[in-house]
Amino acid sequence: MILTSPADLEKYRRDLSDRKTDLKMRVRVCAGTGCLAGGSKSVYEAFLKEAEKHGMKTGIDFAADKTGCHGFCENGPIVQIDPQNIFYQHVKSEDVPEIFEKTIIGGETIEKLLYRDQKTKKRCRNEENIPFYIHQKRIVLENCGHIDPADINDYIVKGGYGGLSKALFMKPEEIIEEIIRSELRGRGGGGFPTGIKWKSALEVKSDRKYVVANGDEGDPGAFMNRSLMEGDPHSIIEGMIIGAYATGSFEGHIYVRNEYPLALTNLNLALKKARDYGFLGKNILGSGFDFDIQITRGGGAFVCGESTALITSIEGFAGVPRVKYIRSTEKGLWDAPAVLNNVETWANIPKIILRGSDWYSDIGTENNTGTKVFSLVGKVKNSGLVEVPLGTTLRNIIFEIGGGVINNREFKAVQTGGPSGGCLPADKLDTPVDFDSLKKEGSMMGSGGIIVMDDHTCMVNVACYFIDFLAEECCGKCAPCREGLRAMQKLLHGLTSGKAKPGDTLLLRDIAEHVKETALCGLGQTAANPVLSTMKYFPEEYEEHEREGFCRAGVCPDMYSLEIDPELCTGCGACAKICPAEAISGEIKMVHNIDMSRCVTCGSCIDTCRFNAIDVVRRGKK
Amino acid sequence: MIEITIDGIKTEVLENTKILEAAKGLGIEIPTLCHHEALPPDGNCRVCQVEIYDREKKKGKLAIACMYPIRKPIDIFTDNEKVRDARKSVIRLHLNRCPQAKIIQDLAEEYGVEPLDERFVEENDDICIRCGRCVRACEALGNNCLSFSGRGWDREIVPPFNEPPEGCLGCAACAEVCPTGAIKVDEKDGFREIWGRKFRLAKCSRCNEYYATEEYLKKLNPDEIVEINLCPRCKKAEEAKRIGNIIQ
Amino acid sequence: MHYISVDAMREVAETLNIPQSRVYSVATFYKALSLVPLGKNVIRICNGTACNIRGSPKILKAFEDELGIKNGETTEDGLFTIQLVNCLGACALAPVVTINEQVYGKVRIKDIPGIIEEVKNNDSDQSR
Repeated sequence: MILTSPADLEKYRRDLSDRKTDLKMRVRVCAGTGCLAGGSKSVYEAFLKEAEKHGMKTGIDFAADKTGCHGFCENGPIVQIDPQNIFYQHVKSEDVPEIFEKTIIGGETIEKLLYRDQKTKKRCRNEENIPFYIHQKRIVLENCGHIDPADINDYIVKGGYGGLSKALFMKPEEIIEEIIRSELRGRGGGGFPTGIKWKSALEVKSDRKYVVANGDEGDPGAFMNRSLMEGDPHSIIEGMIIGAYATGSFEGHIYVRNEYPLALTNLNLALKKARDYGFLGKNILGSGFDFDIQITRGGGAFVCGESTALITSIEGFAGVPRVKYIRSTEKGLWDAPAVLNNVETWANIPKIILRGSDWYSDIGTENNTGTKVFSLVGKVKNSGLVEVPLGTTLRNIIFEIGGGVINNREFKAVQTGGPSGGCLPADKLDTPVDFDSLKKEGSMMGSGGIIVMDDHTCMVNVACYFIDFLAEECCGKCAPCREGLRAMQKLLHGLTSGKAKPGDTLLLRDIAEHVKETALCGLGQTAANPVLSTMKYFPEEYEEHEREGFCRAGVCPDMYSLEIDPELCTGCGACAKICPAEAISGEIKMVHNIDMSRCVTCGSCIDTCRFNAIDVVRRGKK
Repeated sequence: MIEITIDGIKTEVLENTKILEAAKGLGIEIPTLCHHEALPPDGNCRVCQVEIYDREKKKGKLAIACMYPIRKPIDIFTDNEKVRDARKSVIRLHLNRCPQAKIIQDLAEEYGVEPLDERFVEENDDICIRCGRCVRACEALGNNCLSFSGRGWDREIVPPFNEPPEGCLGCAACAEVCPTGAIKVDEKDGFREIWGRKFRLAKCSRCNEYYATEEYLKKLNPDEIVEINLCPRCKKAEEAKRIGNIIQ
Repeated sequence: MHYISVDAMREVAETLNIPQSRVYSVATFYKALSLVPLGKNVIRICNGTACNIRGSPKILKAFEDELGIKNGETTEDGLFTIQLVNCLGACALAPVVTINEQVYGKVRIKDIPGIIEEVKNNDSDQSR
């Protein structure tokens, strides 16, 4: 059914709202990739079965919805019960009969399924009480976890396509003015002012113009875009239609990473529904504007997240970047102007149009307005997607929202910005997270990955990990990146295996700095960051690795020795049990002992010990 | 016209002129590897680095001369310390990959580049610097028998499916534009071998020299008989004679 | 990951009327395409940053030891291929392993023999 005008859409929305309030009992089961991995599909099916058992008709007496990713994957499968908005976590299909009896019918909460606040030790009934969510400001992720991404009606009821309605009857210049005034900057990491990009595209006279959405989230440790594409695909689509209208583009392309099959499915479904309702196609909502979107599936190449490589990939070639002296808004896709933005940037657009640029620019700080979605992962207690206003400090995100380091180990460093970013130490925790502040310290915000590292992390090993990743993903076009990363790999492998030569750290820095200067694209130009930032803040680790072959974090194989601290060891025996080389011995409740001649330096004992009783020391030390 | 300076020398250029051409116009040579005047530029060797000083932003940054289009008044430096330092780092990396390539050895000597130690050297006899001139040449001729395969350090230039290319005409344009001589061409007894294929060479009916493969000639002029073909030099001579006769 | 044969590449070139060289270039560039046939069950071990610091290299080694093949290889009986892959975007469940479409989160080394058995049993169930 095609909606032919904004008034048509409004009437439809009101009708839907009335209908939805009829249903009293509703269960929302998260069906994002994370919870699906935890078994949420069988939880969902269990609810349907249980409803049948109680003689309830699904869709009439009782509703069971599948939603997209809440971003709290470690605590999944997540189930929410309406109308009380009760938040259950770690739900198994075996729990469902009890949930039905006690909560859905009886209105009581089941304590053991509620989130337990580690500080207050109290159980939290609703999402709004959970510390992880309290400190967040969910705008981009507003709908994720609350709507069924496969149902366009859910999106419409929540105000979806209202922004488009308004935009289509504004002048393109007016829309661009609003976006400029909001000070929205590209959420893919580049941070280029979105409104200015659109303005330069509008100014180019061309009968072919494109809008492109970058959904090729390749940073290891990042899943913001995945959740958005899975959980609220229409927000991206609506943003693109508005952007296309504002810049005079006639066709849109969404590039989705190959490794995100559910995102592909949900986006494809959303496009189909959008066409059915007339949001895509000819004469959208009676405005006279024609537009449609195609999806390109990635082929497994991190470099395709770079804008020129992405465009080359859409054109059907190997995703190799191009020299970027001429902007894509002038000559981009198929030689025509292309407006390329990250999917998160597009998702902000409808809200800015609907609620106004002032509302948006009031959030965040100067030059860094709005919110940003971050992927907070690693050695942190509350791991998941965090959306906060720009300018929130690292400390706030990691300790207030994240709950601090797991097992209460010591915080060592935080890696931000993926392979293009850097590691910052504890004394930088009060740095605001935004486009500019992190850069000043030698890192960057990038697309939003925040990886927490504890004292059992070797910073040289971290640098090695990222260079290995980049060398694997390097497209091979330009000499600095292709040859330089290979040389850097060799040096880092030497450092992390005790085979470094004197001067290697300096040589590594030299090569890294030159690759940064001379590489063709962003991948090569930022490849040096993980190396240079770890060298800047943890120089002693590089020195120890190079000169002594010693890894103080107890990570690099054969580069350390272990001693059990007799004052801290409780004799629990956990380390002995987990040791694969049977190198640990001791009586229960007596101090244990490690036989270094058998130890294979796998680090499992250090991971397991809850009393921090295993010390990493130099080899040959008695 | 846009007013710029190159190494302190003032000049004016049309908008979108590349720095490499602008410099050439002043007699300033900037070293290149992947650039070829008959082919579209690719910007992958990174040797033609220059420094551009933006008068408005009061900042200097590196750019590659073969592809940078001049669109506003800037000051260009082709040989200052920063540029030399960047160029040296790139040459060192090329030298590490292809120590036997003469053109790289010459550049290394000119710029005083010391090679990295033996830990970094992988193979000694690979002299392909992945500049892609051969690929671009074959594409420009409309034949498309070469492309880059793979990714990263393993990236290499091969015919389709890494097999002797079916569509190859044996014209050897690829070998001719290769700056290091990495493409092997063997000519013997009226045959040319290249990319694992053997081609019969045609003789010029006037000077009796081998000058092109029969496949190539057949593709150019499918209707003409190969035996009466003339090599380019003899063709010019015959043409000149004909014009001379007309004039007289 | 999908296997693409030389014949298939030739056909793509002919159908789309583009040079074979370009098809070959694309097929060898993207990790999603393989020029050698893969095993029936592809074990993908995520090596994203979160999974890496939560032990993915050890998980890889455990799979390698259990199946007797290395990363990138396929077992003789054609049942399993091991691949160490880039971040799958399920970081909060680190370390993550996927086998075909099934996602396994918070994988421990001691889970691995059981996971392999489960996949083998599913296979023989399906072939009945």
